[in-house]
Amino acid sequence: MAEREHPRITGVHALSALGRGGDALLAGVLAGTPAFAPVRRFDTAGRRVAVAATLPEAGALAEELADAIDAACRAAGLDRAGRADSALFLATHGGPRSLPDPAVAGPDAPPDGGPSDRVAGGPAVSGAGASPGVDGGPPALAGHLSRRGGLGGRTRVYTTACVSASTAVADAAALIARGDLDRVVVAAGYLVEPDQYALFDAGRAFAADGAVRPFSAGRQGLLLGDGVAAVVLESAAAVRHRGATPVATVAGWGRAGDAYHPCQPDPRGRGLARAVAAALGRAGLPAEAVGYVNANATGTPYSDASEAAALRLALGDLAGRVPVSSTKSVHGHALEASGLLELVVTVLALRHGKLPVNAGWLGPDESCPLDVITQAPRPLATAHALTLNAAFGGANTALLVGAP
Amino acid sequence: MRVVAEGRWPEAGDGGVPGVAGFVHSDFAPVVVAVADRCLGRAHAVPPLPAGNRTAVVLVSASGDRASAGHVRATVAAGGRVGPLFFFQSVPNSVAGHVAARWGLDGPVVCLSPTGEPRAEGTAEAELLLHDGDADQALLVLIEQAPDGTPSEAVAVLLEEGTGQ
Repeated sequence: MAEREHPRITGVHALSALGRGGDALLAGVLAGTPAFAPVRRFDTAGRRVAVAATLPEAGALAEELADAIDAACRAAGLDRAGRADSALFLATHGGPRSLPDPAVAGPDAPPDGGPSDRVAGGPAVSGAGASPGVDGGPPALAGHLSRRGGLGGRTRVYTTACVSASTAVADAAALIARGDLDRVVVAAGYLVEPDQYALFDAGRAFAADGAVRPFSAGRQGLLLGDGVAAVVLESAAAVRHRGATPVATVAGWGRAGDAYHPCQPDPRGRGLARAVAAALGRAGLPAEAVGYVNANATGTPYSDASEAAALRLALGDLAGRVPVSSTKSVHGHALEASGLLELVVTVLALRHGKLPVNAGWLGPDESCPLDVITQAPRPLATAHALTLNAAFGGANTALLVGAP
Repeated sequence: MRVVAEGRWPEAGDGGVPGVAGFVHSDFAPVVVAVADRCLGRAHAVPPLPAGNRTAVVLVSASGDRASAGHVRATVAAGGRVGPLFFFQSVPNSVAGHVAARWGLDGPVVCLSPTGEPRAEGTAEAELLLHDGDADQALLVLIEQAPDGTPSEAVAVLLEEGTGQ
């Protein structure tokens, strides 16, 4: 039986340099104080830039993902049976440093007393220390997290770079809407580590001035940031059946490609605009319904301009009047996890009726004619908000979040 | 799902895979491009397709680009600097985007690391994108790179709604 009502979000959790949990994340993005600092997690000698937004007490990625999944499930009020019915969609870059680290991982008992499955020392990830060492890789991590969280449904792993998590959410929503699944836990994680850091530094992607300034004049680039998040999506029927209280709806979603370049966005923003149009179309809502855009904007000159062009294409003249901010200016770019971290930001902003600040603002740029929230949080005027993401390969996603 | 066209790399008579500008060190991206060209060339004479074709690119790989990842890891561990081309080469999206740009495929780009049977998982993703309305066709590319440096192998399948060949 196809689900006609929009999928619900019933639990969220996030970790970033702003702290652990949704309250810390919301407080941080509303305060608008960037969390960037000199990197101390690893040696940055020889790098052009040595700044990122990291949480000093963050543990191994597998541990943080397990913790996020458990926290989101608890927030959703999921009991053991509810977890057993849940699928897990994981978004991560994978690779050795994503896998459970025996030296760091704690006891591997599931939170509800179910059977233990200590992958850290197990054969499935025995190549974790090898180079390149992706044997088992992200699917093994997904299996580990699924068993540890007591999630009994199917697993999927998305490696679609910076739209991994948002694509996972779109797919989860589509499968729930079609009636294939009742509940999906989407989890995503990236903790700043030396390999990706070196790659972004080599690509001269980092802001040499140590600040992320989305849509602003004088923006120089992006900075990386920790991000681990989990979100529970459910069918409206499943939510009603167990008497849960949703925190938001996924009113619409869209995915589209640029067909333009391996690693540069279409300057006309056509792919992202089609993703926005698809999200609004699925929701059956006009552009006027959008009261906030949590932008993908990374602080990179050409890609922010491309996103502004996309918003102009998708929203018309409204693009200059809808409040927009990119919270990457505060928590940094969490790569594969960015879509989920920013979805949590958007859900929390919607719930609290306050829109986050776009930090790092130096002044308007004529290539980005948008209503950017530059000074202080603004009140939300409507019940819907968009969160946008874009990635290498011209991959674009739009998620339309609604009040429950 | 109906198979519109299919290609493999290698097929009988293939030699070394042609290089692709902008991609270095590893045969991962060149094999993706070669197998995609072969499959799409069997369905469409020459690129690009007309705009609005809404053809998705679904790339499924458990290994990912092992060779590039290993090179980056070793270089960073030794305190060296990686070459700038590895920046975008480090994610499978980039070569998927290369294929999309070359052929004008303007549907979604999705990369998966399979937790089950790769072709079934990729086909399920393609079917979802078509059913959900974001794509009209999907180019599914399955590629694995062995840890011992032997040449990569890949399959590409162009899928659309329907049944049979």
